[in-house]
Amino acid sequence: MSSIHAKVAVGSSTDSSFLGGRIPTEIEIMAKHLKDVDQEIFRKILKVVVNAIEGKDCREAIKTIAENAALPEERLTFVVAGMYRLLKEALRIPMSSLKQEVFKEDLRQLRIPEEFITDFSSVVFGNRRTTLEAVAIQKGPKLPCIEDCRWRVDVAISTSALSRALQPSILMQMKLSDGRAHRFEMSVSKFQELRYNVALILKEMNDLEKKSILKIQD
Amino acid sequence: MAAIIKESQSIKEAVTLINKIDLNKFSRLLSRILQKLHLKEERTFSEEEEQKLQGALSLDKQSVSLVLETTAFILEQAVYHNVKPASLNQQLENIHLSSEKADVFCQIWTTAGPHVLDQVRQRIFAPKKLEHIGWELNLQMARSTHAKLKEPHAVLELGLRNEDSVRVDNVSLEFSHQQLLEFYNKLETVQAQLDSLT
Repeated sequence: MSSIHAKVAVGSSTDSSFLGGRIPTEIEIMAKHLKDVDQEIFRKILKVVVNAIEGKDCREAIKTIAENAALPEERLTFVVAGMYRLLKEALRIPMSSLKQEVFKEDLRQLRIPEEFITDFSSVVFGNRRTTLEAVAIQKGPKLPCIEDCRWRVDVAISTSALSRALQPSILMQMKLSDGRAHRFEMSVSKFQELRYNVALILKEMNDLEKKSILKIQD
Repeated sequence: MAAIIKESQSIKEAVTLINKIDLNKFSRLLSRILQKLHLKEERTFSEEEEQKLQGALSLDKQSVSLVLETTAFILEQAVYHNVKPASLNQQLENIHLSSEKADVFCQIWTTAGPHVLDQVRQRIFAPKKLEHIGWELNLQMARSTHAKLKEPHAVLELGLRNEDSVRVDNVSLEFSHQQLLEFYNKLETVQAQLDSLT
């Protein structure tokens, strides 16, 4: 039964929006306030919102718009909040799963004026998309990764405990993306354990990527 | 080979004491000392054990420490110079250790020596050393910023031990496939360097 329902939902464009079953309030309110907004002002606001999504500080830019535009501050607030939410929701979905026509149709359903739909669409499907996605990956939750890794192979000639040691060891220095640095040494056998394990993960990763679960298209 | 143990006054005293100790007891004492030789920060016998040794060997406190220190010193010298058993025997005869005690030294040195040498060789001087390696492979399905993902991510855990503490610092690192490949290639370069040494 459930599979039949799912097919019906996918088939009809009227009740399945990329925004999900319930349209977020911010977007609904924005749609109402977009009427009679001058396209030039709309584009200025859109540009600022895109910059904000890219992580830039936009306080000054929005202040300038608020001071010069003929838009009351309250309406401006509603428009900014709605745009931000709308773009965020659209950018979450991979391009392969969200067709431009479906996106446009969904916005039409919200009664957003056609010229604004084109502008929204050019942000979501345009050449800025790559940058926006890269920023999203950078800002997402994650553990630190290696930013810089230097190493040194030493061979101890003599030590206080051995007149002839001739023992190699590996010194590794890692700088992490969270700013921390670690410097540590390891014996050759420990190094080989590390190398073996990294190779093993790579193999597991390759195996995983070959599995059919990754080939299912959404 | 030049003398690795000089017959000083304290060596003379220690040798006299050792020569009087029961052979069986001395043999056990010797293997214990050799076992713990590579652990610099740990004492071979606890204070309590040393007290018991006084009774078992019928020696006073000072004599027990002299025997222990001298025995450890002889073994340390053997490690330092990587002495052959026959040569060690000669050296011990030179400081007038009884032949049965010298034999015990050589016997233990022959069996356990190579292992101890290896352990001392593996000793690491850096304040932090890599001790534990753990990992996890995750498939990232979605994020707050992305729906419908299928990205493999590896988390590598490196347990770094500080020289002066029992605590192991765990450092967790995240890798995408590409990042892991780059890291692996780096390790391969190191391996090539190590291979070129032998």
